[in-house]
Amino acid sequence: MSALTLLILRLAFLAVLWAFVFAVVYALRSDLFGQRVRRQTAEQASSPFPTAPVAPLAPTPRVAAPAPAAVTVPSIPLAAAPAPPTEPIRSTLSPSFGERPGPARRLVITSGPKEGLEIELPSEQLAIGRSSESGLVIRDDYTSTHHARLMLWNDGWVVQDLDSTNGTFLDGVRVTLPTPVPLNTPVTIGTTTFELRR
Amino acid sequence: MPAPTSWSPNPPPAPSYDAGPRSTFTNTIRLKLRVPARLRNLELALLVPALGIVAFALVLVQLATSGKTDAGILTLAGLLALLVLAMHVAMRLVAPNADPLILPIITVLNGLGIAEIYRIDISAKLSGWESAGVRQIAWTAMAIVIAIVVIVLIRNHRVLQRYRYIAMFSGILLLILPMLPLIGTTINGARVWISVGPFSFQPGELGKVALAIFFAGYLVTARDSLSMVGRKVLWMTFPRARDLGPILVVFAASMAVLIFQKDLGTSLLYFGLFLVMLYVATGRASWVVLGVGMFLVGAYVAFTTLSYVTGRVNSWLDAFSNANYTAQVNSSYQIVQGIFGLAHGGLIGTGLGLGQPYRTPLARSDFIFSSLGEELGLVGIFAILALYLLFVSRGFRIGFAGEDDFGRLLGVGLAFVVGLQVFIVIGGVTRVIPLTGLTTPFLAAGGSSLVANWIIAALLLRLSDTVRTTPRLVVEP
Repeated sequence: MSALTLLILRLAFLAVLWAFVFAVVYALRSDLFGQRVRRQTAEQASSPFPTAPVAPLAPTPRVAAPAPAAVTVPSIPLAAAPAPPTEPIRSTLSPSFGERPGPARRLVITSGPKEGLEIELPSEQLAIGRSSESGLVIRDDYTSTHHARLMLWNDGWVVQDLDSTNGTFLDGVRVTLPTPVPLNTPVTIGTTTFELRR
Repeated sequence: MPAPTSWSPNPPPAPSYDAGPRSTFTNTIRLKLRVPARLRNLELALLVPALGIVAFALVLVQLATSGKTDAGILTLAGLLALLVLAMHVAMRLVAPNADPLILPIITVLNGLGIAEIYRIDISAKLSGWESAGVRQIAWTAMAIVIAIVVIVLIRNHRVLQRYRYIAMFSGILLLILPMLPLIGTTINGARVWISVGPFSFQPGELGKVALAIFFAGYLVTARDSLSMVGRKVLWMTFPRARDLGPILVVFAASMAVLIFQKDLGTSLLYFGLFLVMLYVATGRASWVVLGVGMFLVGAYVAFTTLSYVTGRVNSWLDAFSNANYTAQVNSSYQIVQGIFGLAHGGLIGTGLGLGQPYRTPLARSDFIFSSLGEELGLVGIFAILALYLLFVSRGFRIGFAGEDDFGRLLGVGLAFVVGLQVFIVIGGVTRVIPLTGLTTPFLAAGGSSLVANWIIAALLLRLSDTVRTTPRLVVEP
């Protein structure tokens, strides 16, 4: 084994070691530089803070949408949907659904691109932001990577702004300290407004 | 589409749950999607180069020392690679959303350690079970198996919160085990080992995992009383005297380790771990000020009264003096040899197998960092430090993204204990702080340290699987 071959091999080893380090860093780039912003279309960007719901009545079916359920639900005309009585639904959910006092259990989006969708709140906290690790991912130009979080404190949900650039608004007032979120009160983050419901 | 504003703030009382047609619909067509294991595929994509790097390092050692390759150690390393892949498959089954970067990172670190230990064995003409490299491979295999068992058995980290007092007792037991007669052994001046038959084990390494679990479980319940009240001095709120109990207990324990086990590093590690978890749980810098002050006072008292601490500090401050270098006890010979090795390595190192790391005492365990620094150079050890940085930052991210307080505290604590240990060891080798006897995580020869650190990695993977739930909803314009 000649000295030159060994020199080349050991330099190659250092190069491979660093290539691995950079591969790992590349894999977590979204942690370091934030999630990529999706450009909004012109007409959406013209009214960034809609006062009235501006979601199109029949949203364009998006092929690459993350969850098909999330897209199909608002696109089905609700008039055509069968409206079964509410009684059986209740029984499938929980016997005492709605009667029990306590913290909110659902988050309903009241305006913004995904208007009308609702999710179940997690047991302790829900992170909101552009990062894909958030429980509620909002990808628009106005949302920070780690924008805000909802926390369950003493049987009540509290919203905390995580030093976001454009702020979190509770009933139109910018949140600076962790603030309790009453039921059915709009919380605005970027172009999305949601309410907490029981 | 009915406007969502039709939700009146005061819903009609009769059907208090107004299940509109829309929510009816979302409830009935909820789909169960088969999500492709994107994270696991990324992990596999990084794991293959990681195993390649390890094989490359071993081949390089063999080529440089003997000019030809030898299948023996490569076969053993191949068996380890199979175990690592088995862990990957286990995670595909039981922890599909776990962090994809941790396993490749620790594979590279562990493999580099094995290559360097094997290289020093070749210089010492050791082979078979005599050689530390083969034993290190055996310990790694055991550590990986234990890590797989941890991932498979602990399906939800909140179970650990329930066992926090068991964790406390086992942590204390592991700490005092070396003090017991019969099984406790003193090696190189520190009484931190137990020997059962031919095996020696450093139980304090496992103790740090148990204590991290206990601190997390305890602080989740106790942090309110530790953070709410206090007296304001200048700009900082200091805790009341009656809330000082826990920190005093931990301080006393770490001082006891310092005095009776003569182990500076472990004492600093435990106290630092508690302090950081206390700070994270309460968000109060005054605890850190208080704790660092207490530790400095304790360290100063130890410096003036305990001869071995005095010797360590002297050989740190004045390593190159002739008196310290040639001293019979507490000589700075080892540190200076290590620094000479680092200097010999220079920027790109002598190349694996081409340096003289065997000249440093304990080159396989405490001084593996200077051994690697000699053979891989500044470029190589910066890559190793970058890997540690990435590992610890993944742990902090897991803590940050956690959804329950216990998981968040545990993630931060486990990641910090690895980071602090790296700092204590490498700081000691490079004369940033006095030299203390701790092992470099994943790299150094030593079974107890390997097992403990693989358990830490497994717990972080388990935590990340629980917290990295795929988003409940993605809102995109």
